[in-house]
Amino acid sequence: MAKYIVKRLLISVITIWLLATISFFLLRTLPGNPFQTNQILSIEMQEKMMTYYGLNRPLLEQYITYLSNLIRGDMGYSLKYTNRTVNSIIKTTFPISASLGLKALALALPIGLFLGVASAKKRGQAVDYACVFISVLGVSIPSFILGSFLQYIFALKLKILPMAQWSTPLHTILPTIALALSLLATLTRVMRASMLEVTTQDYVKTAKAKGLTESKITWSHQIRNAMVPILTLLGPMVATVLMGTFVIEKIFAIPGLGQHFVNSITGLDYTMTMGLIVFYGIFMVTANFIVDIAYGFVDPRIRI
Amino acid sequence: MSERILNIENLKVSFDTYAGEVEAVRGVSFHVNKGETLAIVGESGCGKSITVQSIMKLVPMPPGRLKEGTIEYLSTDITAYSDKKMQHLRGKEMSMIFQDPMTSLNPTMRIGQQILEGVKKHTGLKKKEAEEQIIRLLTDVGIPNPDKNMLRYPHMFSGGMRQRVMIAIALACNPKILFADEPTTALDVTTQAQILELMNALKEKFGTSIVLITHDLGIVARMADRVAVMYAGKIVETGSAHDIFYTPKHPYTFGLLKSLPSMDLSKETKLEIIPGTPASLINPPKGCSFADRCKYAMNVCNRLEPPENEISQGHAGSCWLLDERAPKVDLIKGEIL
Amino acid sequence: MEDNMTTHEANDFLFTVEAAIPHSQLAGSNLSYWADAKRRLLKNKVAMISLIFILLILALSIVIPATSSYTYDQQNLSNINSAPSRAHLFGTDSLGRDLWVRVWYGARVSLAVGIFGSIIPSLIGIVIGGISGFFGGKLDMVIMRAIDIIMCVPSMIYVILIMLFIGSGQIPLIIAFALTGWMGTARNVRGLVLQLKEREFVLASKALGASSASLIFSHLIPNTLGIVIVSITMGVPGAIFHEAYLSFIGLGIAPPIPSWGQLANLGTAVFRIFPYQLLIPASMISITMLSFNLFGDGLRDALDPKLRN
Repeated sequence: MAKYIVKRLLISVITIWLLATISFFLLRTLPGNPFQTNQILSIEMQEKMMTYYGLNRPLLEQYITYLSNLIRGDMGYSLKYTNRTVNSIIKTTFPISASLGLKALALALPIGLFLGVASAKKRGQAVDYACVFISVLGVSIPSFILGSFLQYIFALKLKILPMAQWSTPLHTILPTIALALSLLATLTRVMRASMLEVTTQDYVKTAKAKGLTESKITWSHQIRNAMVPILTLLGPMVATVLMGTFVIEKIFAIPGLGQHFVNSITGLDYTMTMGLIVFYGIFMVTANFIVDIAYGFVDPRIRI
Repeated sequence: MSERILNIENLKVSFDTYAGEVEAVRGVSFHVNKGETLAIVGESGCGKSITVQSIMKLVPMPPGRLKEGTIEYLSTDITAYSDKKMQHLRGKEMSMIFQDPMTSLNPTMRIGQQILEGVKKHTGLKKKEAEEQIIRLLTDVGIPNPDKNMLRYPHMFSGGMRQRVMIAIALACNPKILFADEPTTALDVTTQAQILELMNALKEKFGTSIVLITHDLGIVARMADRVAVMYAGKIVETGSAHDIFYTPKHPYTFGLLKSLPSMDLSKETKLEIIPGTPASLINPPKGCSFADRCKYAMNVCNRLEPPENEISQGHAGSCWLLDERAPKVDLIKGEIL
Repeated sequence: MEDNMTTHEANDFLFTVEAAIPHSQLAGSNLSYWADAKRRLLKNKVAMISLIFILLILALSIVIPATSSYTYDQQNLSNINSAPSRAHLFGTDSLGRDLWVRVWYGARVSLAVGIFGSIIPSLIGIVIGGISGFFGGKLDMVIMRAIDIIMCVPSMIYVILIMLFIGSGQIPLIIAFALTGWMGTARNVRGLVLQLKEREFVLASKALGASSASLIFSHLIPNTLGIVIVSITMGVPGAIFHEAYLSFIGLGIAPPIPSWGQLANLGTAVFRIFPYQLLIPASMISITMLSFNLFGDGLRDALDPKLRN
């Protein structure tokens, strides 16, 4: 176990290092510089800024400086938000995105799993068709469209919920739903398929031959075995959702992390983009690590 | 006359598929007496598994469908029993062992727990007593260190050991009848012999009747009191093990015997195969379903289904050759008399 | 029994002439895999209706822009934001452009990106995954680790980076999808190939000395084709969604060329006053994605032998 963790940790570090390296050089090959987009700055000023941030020095030197800072947990200053470190931006915006993501997961996970199980158990019946329809609909309506319509119906027409902003719990309802539907749909789909797969297994027949009730078979024999594919899905899903969603944050004017993903890249904010990629990478690697450990608990055949 | 545990009359089971109705079981009748082993023999796909799974109502319906017939357990008609009522019979009165021990145990549940489930459901024993019972069962089926091994997961055991666990699960509540669906097919020969021996020993100990499904006549020879030979969804010949092995009357039974290497029928017999493939169960032929492959096929065989003819006490066959008007044939010598 | 007797014919108890009976009925029910899949797909009403929708949208996207009296970028500032009417079936936008033409022209763009943005990355994924699974060993390990690393970051980031490199537009979008979308398919195909490699029929042909090429073409490709077709179909709505998403945030298709995501983006700006401007492109996106998803489901049910009966 200890050996496994050390090995995993080592692989994770290498992964993050490769990720940082590739994105560092990839970003620098992009045409333009971070200060060009600001129309106000003269060429001289741009040059000055470049020198100030050390962007004129040889690339390799910059890379080594960046890495050595990164190891100490310092991801540098944002090139766009004056006087703000990447760390502090992540620190203030990530909790907002994460709390929205957690709310959406808390809504989607139990409902999605339940619908998936119900759908599989009632295969070919009205319940099944309803669940399948919900799940296909959920993956067919992009979240930004759903978000806009939720706003239109509940804020503009019915006037029962606030349109946007991030202040009271009431404000979180619409973005949570907009984010949750596609998660719910995906979970329903995967759980249904997984349950159907498990239902045809021999051990379910054995359980039936023991005289167990249908609900007992579902609970103690099918669901646990059907959870393995869900775990695989859940790792990246949780990581992605907690990181924030650009469009949802844009529509609902939420000051989360998601907006920075797009803004920093399009604005060539090197340090910010690098910081987000590295942060995201660490998060993803950790999520996958947790999933792998969770496998061991769900399925005793998988030893770690 | 010994006590009849199970009586099946004219059982017909079909599956509704895209390609049409598959008549998997087409009017099967047999009975099982107390404490005996009945072997149902036939090629794969002949409907033997579906037959026994229908008795325990383990066939998913739909797509399966019980078309006709009666199933009597201890003289009670259980044909129309609901799933709920069947739950009280399954595991307690009748249980089943499946072919592949690698897949028939839940990989995510400790084996002790898998046995315990059935015990708890049917006996209402307290946890402590139930655990003692499990240890006793595991000892009976020959699992060493049962107190430790009951806490382990199936993947930690070999195929043979897992099949022993399956037997322990099946016998946990002392059922009156045990269906064993090719219980040793997936095992190697040595393990096979051990498992069969174990089943015989437990049968003696608990007085359980066994319905053994197999395609292996060698197993039939060492296990069965009576034999039913199935072909294309029907029983074509039934009789005592002695009848079937020494005076087979149906050309299919005889073909099966001849395709067996170790049978000492006569010095010169060569190993023979039965030509052709089994008849389609989607549009079964209207006459005898074996006629296509039978070297003694007569014109009548293609037109009419053969009736069941009693040959001697307890030995019957469904073949037109047994009709008094048919030419006399010596199956063993392969001669027309 | 008595009844039976009376129907007997004179020659009943004579042996039949050897091989007089046709054996054709024996194999009568064994339809081939593809014929069987086709029959089941045709029987699937939901899938068929979805297919009709897809074909209808494709046909309209070709016909409408070609025959309409308006063009997608023709402005009429004296007739802006007019509600759907006879002259403008979907109304006009804030520059007085006819939305009916813009929606169907946008359909061309979105469908092209959707279809090619799914096929091309899938093909790349098949090749890479196939190579990885077939040859195994170190190569396999390197490819799989590379995929693990690449997949640590949402593909959207790469897409945005690539779009910044090569500019926006239809072709850049497809290229960006091609470069970033193959990893999932590659993983799946690799898994399939690994499974197939261990199957008896492949082992058998290997033992009989079949060459790598013949193994690939006669066993691996036919056996993965069904799954690949399904994954391509299911990838189309994903690509449509990504196009819409990128255009929505202003990175996908450059104005004035419309795409559904573009139209939805423009629609959100005014949807509080003119909801139809968002409702129409949003419905087009959703209906098309729904059709592809449902058709893909139908295809999978028809092609996956595991899901039979």
